[in-house]
Amino acid sequence: MPLASFFGFDSLMEFIAFVIAIGIANQALKGYRLAKERTLLYLNISFVLIGAGLLVDGLSSLIVLMAGARRGFLYLFAVGYSINFLAQLVGYGILVYAYIHQARNVNSTALLAAVPFLFFERNAVTELILIFLLIYIATQTWINYSMNKNSNSMLVFGAFASLSIAHVFFLIFTVAPIFFPFAQVAQLFGFLLLLAMLLRVNHPT
Amino acid sequence: MMPGKQAEPAKATAKYRSQFRIYVDIMSVIQRESNQAKPTRILYGANLSHDRLVKYLEELKALGVIQEIGTDDKIYSLTQKGIEFMNNFRRVESFASAFGFKI
Repeated sequence: MPLASFFGFDSLMEFIAFVIAIGIANQALKGYRLAKERTLLYLNISFVLIGAGLLVDGLSSLIVLMAGARRGFLYLFAVGYSINFLAQLVGYGILVYAYIHQARNVNSTALLAAVPFLFFERNAVTELILIFLLIYIATQTWINYSMNKNSNSMLVFGAFASLSIAHVFFLIFTVAPIFFPFAQVAQLFGFLLLLAMLLRVNHPT
Repeated sequence: MMPGKQAEPAKATAKYRSQFRIYVDIMSVIQRESNQAKPTRILYGANLSHDRLVKYLEELKALGVIQEIGTDDKIYSLTQKGIEFMNNFRRVESFASAFGFKI
């Protein structure tokens, strides 16, 4: 894939995912304002962080693209990716905390201690941590779906399963660049499933 | 806010209903009864004692989400504000439920 197409594709995918993530965060905030339910606040913060990470990553790719992918600007891509990675890690970490908080079976301090707060660059270990978090969330959403057999629950499960697969592809991408588009498409598909759920909730048939 | 655990160990899994949840339960009963519910119906439907029901009905009236209609018997119905609140609540409940969160 030519470098310009790579950054253009990356940027477009990240912006679309950003808009959907902010839509989810906004709905969660509306819910929190109405019901004062803390798990909805966690959901809001989680998706605000995920959205912010995607935006920063998308912007950094766009800047690199506009600069003609010159070597001097390429460090921006790494910075954007690091910020996105950290935001996703904390965002999904908060979502995992929300599920545990709801189950009330783990001490909250113990979980917070498990959320890493270090800067890092893209590598297999950090991708594995993200995959672990996403698989945990996907499992929780699967349990939820298996209990209520609701279409919206299925969409949320599908979204997190797709995001888990996307990060498996991102992991493989670190050794085989050909997997990059598959990772981006899987990530976009996950966010589109969340968008479908959001539309169904707001416009019930 | 979600309820905490019962003090009694034998009922550790049972949960208190929050004030918000009780409001929603009362309004749901009224809505279910074609938006015209007598206090007895609400009492059984929302599983409340008489004293608590009277207290909550007064609070909901003060919030402007329910109103008293009828002349002889007391009948409660949702106001327009109450109907809009319930519509918003259903959306939020559906959204939270999709993620597996209870409100």
